[in-house]
Amino acid sequence: MDTRDVTAILDGTWFTAELSSEARGRLAALGRLAIIPEGTSVVREGEPCTALGVVVTGRIALRLRPPGGRDRTILTVDPGDVFGWSALLPPSIATSTGVAVLPTTAVMFDGDPLRRALEIDCDLAAAIYRRLLVSVARRLVATRTQLLDLYRAGDEPW
Amino acid sequence: MVTPASTFLPRAELDRLFGALAADGRHVIGPTVAEGAVVYDELTSFGELPIGRAAETAAGSYRLRPTRKDRAFDFNVGVTSWKRFTHPPIIPLTRGRREGTQVVVEPAELNPPRLAFVGVRACELAALQIQDRAMRAGPLGDVDHVARGDAALVVAVECATVTSTCFCTSMSTGPEVTGGADIVLSELDEGFVVRAATDAGAAIVDRLDLRPADPLETDRAAASVAAVRAAIGDPVPAEGLPERLRAALDHPRWAEVADRCLACANCTLVCPTCFCTSVAVASDLDGVEGTTERTWDSCFSLGFGRVAGEGNFRPKVRDRYRQWLTHKFSTWWDQFGSTGCVGCGRCIAWCPVGIDVREELMAIAPPGAPQGPIPWPLSPAEGRAPAPLATVAPAAHVAATLRSIRFETADTATLQLHTSDAALLGARPGQFVMAELPGFAIPPISISRIRPDGLDLTIRSVGPATAALTSLTNGAEVSLRGPLGRGWPIEAAVGRDVVIIAGGIGLAPLRPLIEAVLADRPRFGAVRLYLGARTPGDRLFVAEMNALAGRADVEVAEIVDRAGPEWLGRVGIVTQLFDQARWIGSRATAFMCGPERMMQATAATLERNGVAPDATWLTLERNMACGVGTCGHCQLGPFFVCRDGPVFSLAELGSAFGREGL
Repeated sequence: MDTRDVTAILDGTWFTAELSSEARGRLAALGRLAIIPEGTSVVREGEPCTALGVVVTGRIALRLRPPGGRDRTILTVDPGDVFGWSALLPPSIATSTGVAVLPTTAVMFDGDPLRRALEIDCDLAAAIYRRLLVSVARRLVATRTQLLDLYRAGDEPW
Repeated sequence: MVTPASTFLPRAELDRLFGALAADGRHVIGPTVAEGAVVYDELTSFGELPIGRAAETAAGSYRLRPTRKDRAFDFNVGVTSWKRFTHPPIIPLTRGRREGTQVVVEPAELNPPRLAFVGVRACELAALQIQDRAMRAGPLGDVDHVARGDAALVVAVECATVTSTCFCTSMSTGPEVTGGADIVLSELDEGFVVRAATDAGAAIVDRLDLRPADPLETDRAAASVAAVRAAIGDPVPAEGLPERLRAALDHPRWAEVADRCLACANCTLVCPTCFCTSVAVASDLDGVEGTTERTWDSCFSLGFGRVAGEGNFRPKVRDRYRQWLTHKFSTWWDQFGSTGCVGCGRCIAWCPVGIDVREELMAIAPPGAPQGPIPWPLSPAEGRAPAPLATVAPAAHVAATLRSIRFETADTATLQLHTSDAALLGARPGQFVMAELPGFAIPPISISRIRPDGLDLTIRSVGPATAALTSLTNGAEVSLRGPLGRGWPIEAAVGRDVVIIAGGIGLAPLRPLIEAVLADRPRFGAVRLYLGARTPGDRLFVAEMNALAGRADVEVAEIVDRAGPEWLGRVGIVTQLFDQARWIGSRATAFMCGPERMMQATAATLERNGVAPDATWLTLERNMACGVGTCGHCQLGPFFVCRDGPVFSLAELGSAFGREGL
């Protein structure tokens, strides 16, 4: 798959759709399309996170394992959104385990070359880090809201 | 025919008035001294009046003192107000019983006593009228209150004395009697100038066969009340006060006064206009019979704003004091087109820590205070028009028969109820009913399906009443009152895209809306459903939603808060389903229901997506005890949620939506 194909794919995702076409092209040059079979772990909690992925189709479940418990899905990453953002933040250790729960395709960016590219391309860096911040902030808000356990039934007067 | 001229009743002949009222078949209620204070009670002769007594009041202080005159009405107002007789502290509402599978709920018999209130002051007349308007305001009012008020004859007395807590002049309710009385008395040393103000009053006065009052007597009476007006002055400039208070919802003084306030509720109990009540339920030991009573309650009670779970919309004294004061002096105007305070001063005198409402008003919203943003759209001068109910007025209590019960989740069941009641069958999507089993609390339940021959109610078992409802077997009856409230404005979405967002059991009131839209599918643009639930096992109407997801003309997306590895669907919060959506918000009308925090997040996301506030509709949860806007529990700013909602647009709610402590 050449850069033009990856550029076209990125054009359809929330994460990169609003980048300028030049910036998207520069980013696409660093990416490759990956086909991730259902059940594949793309990243494991506590282990090195080597690549940032933008989901194109399918779904990645981000899971944590409570002590002594079974895996719990905290969040799913659907088309347009990213996983593996730790790859851009040294020491690049994954904060959760990502598992493809559906057959998934994603544009993958290896962490080291992407970081180096962003260090010398300030415009691209500003755009990418801003979107990453939006994505991570969204997850933070979601997790906080989930912690409130809004749908839980409590004692009611009736 | 009203007697046009004033007449004169000599003091020694006051008993003749009592006699005439008794001859009219009335019990006389008037002021008398008991336990060191003037109270209103049944009187048999004028000798029981507080003759030769005056009351001196100040913040946190009330003392009776003798006077040198034998006048009967030199005490201003009694401790308790006349609402004790028009809006008694406890009245029976219903008596219900279960006979096998049958349920019979009968309203208490209305048998208001024929009373004559003697000695009602101008401020108290205003209070009777203000409370009466509140109780008659909705499409459905408080029938007991209305019957008692209609059965009473009012003999007013114009004030000839003033005490330090009076401020009727500021509230434009006195001291002159201008309306609302059947007979008006003005007390002079030697007797009373008497005016009949209604036909009923004239019939009494005519029986007394009094001589005309001479001009000197009427002039002295007028001068007396004019002196009272001058003495009171204008301690609370009321011009613009509702607007100033509306702009001061975040004033630091609320916290400061809360440090002094004991939240004892004295102020609301002695207030002649406060009308808030609760419904108390009692059951016999075997649970066959149950009764309900309407009892006085207060917005100062900790549990007054309590809702499901651990929710309480006004957990702090600061919130409750603000609720009381802003209701009296601001949102009452929005609701009923008048002040809710008459300036009688009882709340000042009977506050155990001496909080003076006049001082608080002048500290929080003094004349000239800077105007902040208005938190919600202003209401018309005459107050808000209550939401229209269904086209057919609800009957009081209708027994509906359970045809089937289906558990949607481990704790939530849908009851399919059969009824032939025209009002219930005329329910609109978004309306609710009060569902009663004798002996249990009466929950408001959203209608989750409207059938040609009945209704579905989807009920989560969270307490004794809902547990009993979800334990019923086929053929059992449930007593329903409704349909109540304002439903979803489906017509507002015609020709537009429809976005429906549900959280948890919030899908239940949205289900009739979904069905109504799909029943008329060509009239709407794209239809998108976004469904959130706690876990995969907590999803409602799963088969129905799956069927909708299979349709080409409906987009369905769902997400759960938490899930195990077996769940392959989305996990997260419901806003994630559309916060990156590329549909055009300006073309959409949105409808949502769920926990309030979820709806706040949803509203913000919808706004970012371009959905206008007046095209964003939600249904609010509050403690709805009466269902018709007369108990006060579900007040939110200028609204009673049960009567004016529960469906509102974001534009209507303004910043009242999501504001802490409101």
